[in-house]
Amino acid sequence: MLARAHTFTIEGLQTRHVTVEVDVRSGLPAFTIVGLADAAIREARERVRTAILNSGFEFPGRRITANLAPGDVPKAGPGLDLALGCAVLAASGQLPGERLDTHALFGELALSGELRACDGTLAVALAARERGLKTVVVAPACAAEARLVEGLDVAVAERLSSAVRVLRGGSPDPPGLSPSRPPHAIRRESRQPDLAEVRGQHHAVRALVIAAAGGHHCLLSGPPGTGKTMLAQRLPSILPLLSSQEAIEVTRVRSILGSAPRGLARRRPFRAPHHSITTAGLVGGGQRGWVGEAVLAHNGVLFLDELSEFARSTLDALRQPLEEGRIAIVRARHAAVYPARFMLVAATNPCPCGHAGAGDRCGCTETELARHRRRLSGPLIDRIDLLLALERQAPRTLGERPLTSSKSARERVVEARERQATRLAADGITMNAHMDAALLARHARLDATGEAMLQRAGERGLLSARGQHRLLRVARTIADLNASGRVRPRDLGAALALRPEATLGGSRAA
Amino acid sequence: MTKLSADPAPACGDCLRRSWLLARLSAGLDYRWADVSRLTELLALDDERLLRAQAGSRRARLQSDYLRFDSAGLSPRPGVGTVCRHDPGYPAALRGRGAPPMLYVLGGPDRLRDLTQRPVVAVVGTVRASDYGVEIARSLGRGLAASGVTVLSGASDGIAAAAHSGVVEAGAAGVAVVGGGLDVAWPARRRSLLERLRTHGCVVSELPCGTDGRRWGPAAAERVVARLSEVTVVVEAGETARELASAGIARSLGRMVAAVPGRVTSRSSRGTNALLIDGARLVRGAQDVLELLHAGSAARPVADGTACVELEPRLAEVLEQVGEGRDSPDRLTDPAADADEVLLALSELELIGLLTRGEGGRYVRCV
Ligand SMILES: Nc1ncnc2c1ncn2[C@@H]1O[C@H](COP(=O)(O)OP(=O)(O)OP(=O)(O)O)[C@@H](O)[C@H]1O
Ligand SMILES: [Mg+2]
Repeated sequence: MLARAHTFTIEGLQTRHVTVEVDVRSGLPAFTIVGLADAAIREARERVRTAILNSGFEFPGRRITANLAPGDVPKAGPGLDLALGCAVLAASGQLPGERLDTHALFGELALSGELRACDGTLAVALAARERGLKTVVVAPACAAEARLVEGLDVAVAERLSSAVRVLRGGSPDPPGLSPSRPPHAIRRESRQPDLAEVRGQHHAVRALVIAAAGGHHCLLSGPPGTGKTMLAQRLPSILPLLSSQEAIEVTRVRSILGSAPRGLARRRPFRAPHHSITTAGLVGGGQRGWVGEAVLAHNGVLFLDELSEFARSTLDALRQPLEEGRIAIVRARHAAVYPARFMLVAATNPCPCGHAGAGDRCGCTETELARHRRRLSGPLIDRIDLLLALERQAPRTLGERPLTSSKSARERVVEARERQATRLAADGITMNAHMDAALLARHARLDATGEAMLQRAGERGLLSARGQHRLLRVARTIADLNASGRVRPRDLGAALALRPEATLGGSRAA
Repeated sequence: MTKLSADPAPACGDCLRRSWLLARLSAGLDYRWADVSRLTELLALDDERLLRAQAGSRRARLQSDYLRFDSAGLSPRPGVGTVCRHDPGYPAALRGRGAPPMLYVLGGPDRLRDLTQRPVVAVVGTVRASDYGVEIARSLGRGLAASGVTVLSGASDGIAAAAHSGVVEAGAAGVAVVGGGLDVAWPARRRSLLERLRTHGCVVSELPCGTDGRRWGPAAAERVVARLSEVTVVVEAGETARELASAGIARSLGRMVAAVPGRVTSRSSRGTNALLIDGARLVRGAQDVLELLHAGSAARPVADGTACVELEPRLAEVLEQVGEGRDSPDRLTDPAADADEVLLALSELELIGLLTRGEGGRYVRCV
């Protein structure tokens, strides 16, 4: 007899539907699994057999063949156990097969017959809904995560026998008391860093708000200990909360990587890889479709602290995500495209010793300065819109009132973003940072004074053509923050002061 | 290629032998690099005395090599001209005791003669210049070159490099005196300057091609710089003997020494401030140097093009403050003020060319 069950496997960040077909026929007792299964699945034979026996069912002493279709999708992980067990029971006549067509089964079986949680429940639930399945059967610990998906029934099963009861039309188990919480509750996260903790640095804080408002990539430059890392870590606190669509995307990725989300993520991801990271670590790839930091930063912030220490080749790999907002990874068996649209925030010292520009403290030679500049320049800095120059603060600023709290900064950012989204609605983008030359010509038009300033900047060699576009994007955002419909000369002037080229030592580099 | 590269006029054998000898003694001379006056003394000795003073244990062999020296064995390098003190083209200003008998010239001896027949000003200073020093050196280079003055300097980092790049900005090219052979590679960041000097200016050395750059070289080059110039302007220098060497040499030759004042707290201005106390002329910009050059003569020099413009008060105020050292937006604004207005003013000043950006994006006032 033949039985079919639906389940999903996860490859990199993608969910693939898998039909588990089990055929039981007379012959010498044997249990064979075919269809690109990894070691964990081949071991499933033992788990499934013992779990079936320990759940009070009978394991057919005949010839069992399980096929995992489609045959060309590599299958990994123990999440297929439940589907396999149920299909064996159905094929051996211990379970009516019809509900198997509408249920997705996902979970690992313990020898005792207990159902265990697996990584990626949210992704599986999303895929199940997309596939048109009605119900997903999961372990209690995964219930809350699966319930984040609207329009899909979640049946909790503590054990194989409970899953069988559900498939016979019975009631599911109550959701576990264990880690789950009501899905949409805001997590009481540990105290979040706030912009109000930053003293002084008003110029940089203002620039950070501009970067957040327009979604601009930015560069923090300043001597050691002036708060570059501190400021960057506070960026997520002034970015708009994730939209529900983005929240699902972010939570889905977290779910797959097993950082067990409880409820939807609301804050934007903040990823800060160490500068020793490899190219594969940053953008992903490798044999098993490793997911890189750039993908994990999707919808959030990718922070590269000590930019000049990163390997050049590693940074070069960021070009594609910066340009296209996604990363294509091609490997022997398949190609995958992962979303990777993030705000890039880089931090650097102005020179190797960190004290350039601060009077006599800098002990670097011209050669060292030149080398430092060379390491910074290149394709990456070309895509950075904004410079946040930090400087050593006078002691009295430590007692001053902070410029703004994260809350009020976020309100301004959200307002500015709404203004952008309305203006750009017809163009298919939402943020100023994503405007190309054509859109700039339409949305960031200058008056005569502004045009003259721009031309003068070109003549004086302060700006390349690309630099002009960056300048206009930032100017547009400053105007949005000031609730101005037009880009005025003062917006342009402020943007010019914040241009990233300025950190490359204007007076020496020429 | 200049016509001078093919210049057949061979340098005289004695002078060639002298530069050959210097190259042979180069390693030993390096022990003298810090003591510039001793080094200058040594270089003023005639061949025989120099050999005796510096050859040490190699003396016998060197002496016999010296006696058998044959200039015919030296193949001339393409593009490198030579001029010795017996040539009419040898710069007149250079003559005198202690002058290098022989110069190797990139760009050609004729051009060197032309350039040194104009008023010549040396713009010198520390290799570890601050943004302020770099900016002043640049504007001196620019302003002097625009007024038809030949700007002379070394080829090292800091003030010298900044002065040359100012000259290039004015569309001219000056003279760089280097301390190694002319075929010593320049750092990549100054290749374009070298190219510019080769085509429009001169690079000068007293050492033959193939001699490695050593520390005594730049110190020796400074005496050439000082000799060739009517005025030596020290833009920034610490108080070490090494950094003040140019000024000392110029003074001992009776040439005019000028210095740019700096903050008393700045290490790289201590030397220049000390020079001013000792009677060096004070220089605030190219105009002051021109006046020193033309002091006494009735003809007024061409004024520096960027002379005073009528500034709006808000811009003038910001410019003033930057000049006083409030060189970043945070230092310029108090938290309550309209930050955008200040940024706008800074940008306008940058667009006019009265401000530029230094290390870390700081604002530096142009002269
Ligand atoms: N403006 C500031 N306001 C309040 N605290 C600050 C400020 N700047 C620095 N600090 C304090 O100093 C610590 C060090 O700052 P941070 O690590 O951000 O410096 P950094 O600029 O990243 O230095 P480095 O270049 O060494 O990485 C912070 O943890 C913070 O406590
Ligand atoms: Mg840091």
